[in-house]
Formats: sequence, C-alpha cells, structure tokens
Amino acid sequence: MEQFLDLYGFASVILHAAELVARTVLLGSVVFWTLLAVPEGRLMPPGDTDRLHAIARRTAIIAGIASLISTLALGLLGFAALEATLDISAGALLGADFVIFTGLDLLAMLALLALALPRGVPGPGRRWGLAGAALLVLLAVTFGSHAIARVEGRSMLLAATALHQAGAAFWLGGLPCLVAALRLTPASARIVGQRYSRLAAGGVGLILLGSAGFWFGFIGSVEAVYGTAYGSMAASKLVMMVLLLVLGAMNYRLLHRIAPSPEGVLRLRRFIEAEMAIGIAVLAVAASLTSVPPAMDLPDDRVTWAEITERFTPEWPRLTSPDHADLAIPALQAQLDAEWQQRQAAQRPQAFTPGEGLLPPRNATDIAWSEYNHHWAGVMVLLVGLAALLDATGRVPLARHWPLVFLGLAAFLLVRSDPEAWPLGDIGLLDSLRDPEVVQHKIAALLVVVFALSEWSVRLGLLRGRVRFVFPVAMLAGGVLLLAHTHAISNIKEAQLIELSHLPLAILSVVAGCARWTELRGPPELARIGRPLWPACLIGIGILLLLYREA
Amino acid sequence: MPPCPSPARRALSGAVILFALALFSGALLSGPAAAHAVVVNSDPVAGASLAAAPARVTIRFNSRLDHARSRLLLIGEDNSQTALPIREDGDPIVLEAPLAGPVAPGAWRLRWQVLAVDGHITRGDIPFTIRGR
Repeated sequence: MEQFLDLYGFASVILHAAELVARTVLLGSVVFWTLLAVPEGRLMPPGDTDRLHAIARRTAIIAGIASLISTLALGLLGFAALEATLDISAGALLGADFVIFTGLDLLAMLALLALALPRGVPGPGRRWGLAGAALLVLLAVTFGSHAIARVEGRSMLLAATALHQAGAAFWLGGLPCLVAALRLTPASARIVGQRYSRLAAGGVGLILLGSAGFWFGFIGSVEAVYGTAYGSMAASKLVMMVLLLVLGAMNYRLLHRIAPSPEGVLRLRRFIEAEMAIGIAVLAVAASLTSVPPAMDLPDDRVTWAEITERFTPEWPRLTSPDHADLAIPALQAQLDAEWQQRQAAQRPQAFTPGEGLLPPRNATDIAWSEYNHHWAGVMVLLVGLAALLDATGRVPLARHWPLVFLGLAAFLLVRSDPEAWPLGDIGLLDSLRDPEVVQHKIAALLVVVFALSEWSVRLGLLRGRVRFVFPVAMLAGGVLLLAHTHAISNIKEAQLIELSHLPLAILSVVAGCARWTELRGPPELARIGRPLWPACLIGIGILLLLYREA
Repeated sequence: MPPCPSPARRALSGAVILFALALFSGALLSGPAAAHAVVVNSDPVAGASLAAAPARVTIRFNSRLDHARSRLLLIGEDNSQTALPIREDGDPIVLEAPLAGPVAPGAWRLRWQVLAVDGHITRGDIPFTIRGR
C-alpha cells in the first residue's frame, strides 16, 4: 500500500496531463464540427464536405475515448488513495464531491461519444446535442476544479476556469482537425483555415478573460510571479502563449493577406504543428499548475528579487569534481547549516501529497556534485550546439558528427548520476538496479546512446524515414518534462530557485524541437530559419547549464 | 477532381500520433505533484511548547474541505495513534476536534489528512510539546 501511495503524486500528474490534452481536443473537435465543418461544409464540393465531417467525427471519437479513459483512471486513483488512507467504506467515499463530478463528466462524455458515432453530416438536433454534451463536460470539470474549493471569489474563479478551458478548446483543441483539413482541395482548405482563425481569435479572448480572473483570484501581485512556483509556472505559460500568438498571427497573415499557394499551405501546416507542440507544453504546465497551491495562499517564504539576482549572477563553472579538501566546501556547508537552522526555527507547518515525503537536508558536497554534473553537461550541450551550427553552414564536413558528443553525455550520466553505486560507489551494478531511481538513470543513459547513434546515422544517410523525428520529439519531450516536473507544495525557497533556472531551459527545448521539426519537414524557406534556430537554442541551453547554481 | 481521401486520414492519424507521443513522453517523465490545501494557521501552532494541552485543536486551511473524508490523528512519542473526532458542521475550511482526556507531557504530533472539495488529498504534521505544570 505504501508503494501505491508513493506513486500517487506521480501518477496523478501523468493522468491529469493526459486528461487535459484529451479533453481539450475533444471539446475543440466538437467546436470544429458544429461551428466550422457544418456551416462551411455547405460551401465546399461534396467530397470535401464529407471528408471534413469525417475528420471532425474521427477526432471527436478518438479524443472522447482518451478522455473517458484518463478521467476514469484519475477518478479511480483518487478513490483508491482515499480508501487506502481512511478507515471508511468505499460506499461512503462515493458521496465525495470529486466522485460526483467525475461521474457527471463521464456521463456527459459518453453522451457526446454516442452522438458522435453515427456517420454522416449531423442534423440540427444532433448538433445541439453535441454542443450540449460538450457544455456539460465543461461544466462538470469546472465544478470539479480548484475554483470550487476557494473560499473567496468562488463565482468569479468558476467563471474564469470555464472561460479559460473553453478558450483553450476553441484555440488549441481544434488544431488536430485543422491540420488534417489542410489536405482538402486548396480552396476548401483555405475556407477552413480562415474560419478557424476567427474561432481561434475568439478562443484567445476567452483565455485572456480567464487569465484576468486567475490573476485576481490566484496570484495577485508581481512578487508572487517570481516568488512562488505557481507564479513562475504561470509566467512560463504566458511566455509560451506569446509564442503561440506569434504563430497564430503568422497563420492569420497567410490565410487572410497572402494569395493562396501550395507553398503557403505547407508553411501553414508547419506553423500549426508547432502550435500543437507548444500547445501540449502549455497544457502540461496547466496540469502542473493545478497541483500547486495558488501563489496568493503562500505569502511567507517567497523568493525575493534580491535572492534571484544573487543566485543568477554568473560565476565560473565548477569543472572539477568536489573534494572534501576543497576550501570552498566547508564555507558552503556552514552557510547551508545556518539556513537549515533558520528554517527549523521558523517551524512553519508543511503540507505534502501522500508519498511525497520530506525534502532531505542538503549537504555542500551534494550541491557541488550536482553543479559539477550540470556544468559538464552544459559544456557538452554547448559543443553540440556549436558543432550543429557549423554543420548548418555546410562548410565544415567534420561537424556533421556532432551527435557523437551525446555519447560523451551518456557516459557521463552513467558514471556520475548515482555516486553511491557502480562504477563510483560500493554498491554493485545488479544490486543498484533494485532502486527504481538508479534504473531510471541507466535507462536515460541508454536512451541518449540510442538517440545519438540514430541521429548520427541519419546525418550519415544510413537511416532514413521517421527515425529523423526522434531528435525533435526528444527535445520537445525534454521540455515538457521540465515544465511538468516536481514542485514543492509549500514555499521551499531552494526548490523555487531551481525551478526558476529550469523554466527557460524547458522553453528553449520546446522551441528547439519545433525548429528542428520544421527544418526536417520544410518548406525550404522555413527550413532555412529552423536550421540555425535549434542549434542556437542548444547553445542557449548549454550556457544556462554552465551558469546553473544550487547555492 | 478532388484528391483521394487517404492523405487527410494520414494527416489526422499523424497529428494524433504526434499528440500522443509527445504527451506520453512528457507524462512519463513528469515528477510527483504537490497538492492544493495548505495550512494557514493552527492551534496549537507548529512547534508550540504548552503548559497544558488545549481543550480542542483547530487547523485552518486555504481550501474548503470534505470533513467526512478527512482525518486527524494525535501521535505520541511512542508512535501511539489516537483518531480525533472531526467536527463536521463547522467552518468549511477548518479542521476542528476536541482533545478528550488528559494529554501527558511530552512531544506530540497532530497528523492531518484532508480531502479538499476539488478532490486533492494533502497531509502533514503539526508538532507540539506539552511541558506539564
């Protein structure tokens, strides 16, 4: 049972992110179907009309099934965690508010799926049914959201939550349908694109309205933005929203201002694919945001601006491994001891998710070890970025072997990630594999090897086809990982300062993934922009890693 | 002549695969999450040293709670645990329970677990000491 509780927090984030993406696409596909495919389909040739409806229907069904599974799994997880920790019967748990709203959500999704299943153009009754079921889904999740648990401003926050989620559905949720619809005949594809851009603009408006509510209800001050996990995550979400707006503006220009051309449709596809990737990253942040207390509720122990400038003032990287004889270590340990005593003296009540446990006290050698690891990883990523940039010029043939630098990174991970285990520590390799964290590190090192060799083979022309996309998808996944990783529930300053250093890394990683994807998929004039952009992002990541500090 | 339908289907499945792959990768690598309800204040406060135990303990949170599905334990130095009866008709953001009977001098912890009405589970400890008279 303890093992189950250990997994509770981890599993709830996974399922929450899955639920959010699936539900956004589900609601977005209903919007696409009822407000775009139905009215605009009448203006298209019959073949295009049928295909447009088929696209919307299929997306709604796939997203509906994914939503059902993820919502049910999330509900069951919460139910099981309560049953494991409380001495009350399963029947008594059925009356919990979240169980009731999860049930309503599931019923609404089932109704929506039943309405989406029949083939053909939906008549007015079915369209109203689809829209009504989508509205019920939205209401069920709104009344099961954090807004419902608030004491003050509950009505305003419920409205903000509904507007925010509806806006995400209008803007981002229909993108899979849109990208598929661009394969229709050019005239029909343009009609779809123009109509979608108007719906998306409406979605942006709804998101902004919702965000204003969240600002007043959950954040409340500029200090809370950089001083708390909630605030800084919201800020990184805003940065990505700006990127999405830039892409959306370029789409709008292509659709409304520039004469139609096959080249234009290709550019549009690339922009929409980038929007989808960044959209997933935004939803990952949103899932992560819903699992931390609002900034407003944590007025104490916030990170101050002075602490941020002190931490982020560049220092020479730590390129030699920590040694107890190092004179800097005792001084650092003394500082950490003083900080620990100060925190203990404050005796603030802490709160944890089941299984989360206490953060262990830090030791100066641990910090030096971690900084050394980050700095050498930074050196290697910087080298990769510079070599890839040289490769992009086409003038240095040797530079195309840049993926091999990642083999060095893999070896470094393998040796350094678990100092207590083989090859550095006393614990043998097989014994160390009983620890899941060690297994994760070894698998990560192995994946870097596979990734480096596959990308190298692509560069040499030995491998072709979809293996080319391993690199951009890995960069996107890395960015999403950093955006959705662990957050401290109370204001633990160190966790927040580390968080602040990881957020720009994550955004650069997402941008790099999109740029490499665009370079691979074309068209040529966009590929030319993508080619130097992703190495530049890698150089940025390398520099940030070199400047990384934990104390 | 309209093109054959297969490219649209391919594009759709490609889009869905991209979404699924990226989501899976991100989700697989995500860390554990924290939760929403946090302690605003309590009586006794964390770390308090009291001459005698209060007649009732109260913990105020930032979220509305499901009292019937929350739990409050009093834990002694020897790890003995006593479940405290939570008042269900009180303030929606307060966990309140009487301390029945004498509480011996020593180190104690109030171990709370709450279910917020939004479905988040949070738990924590409030340590305090009874000095004795």
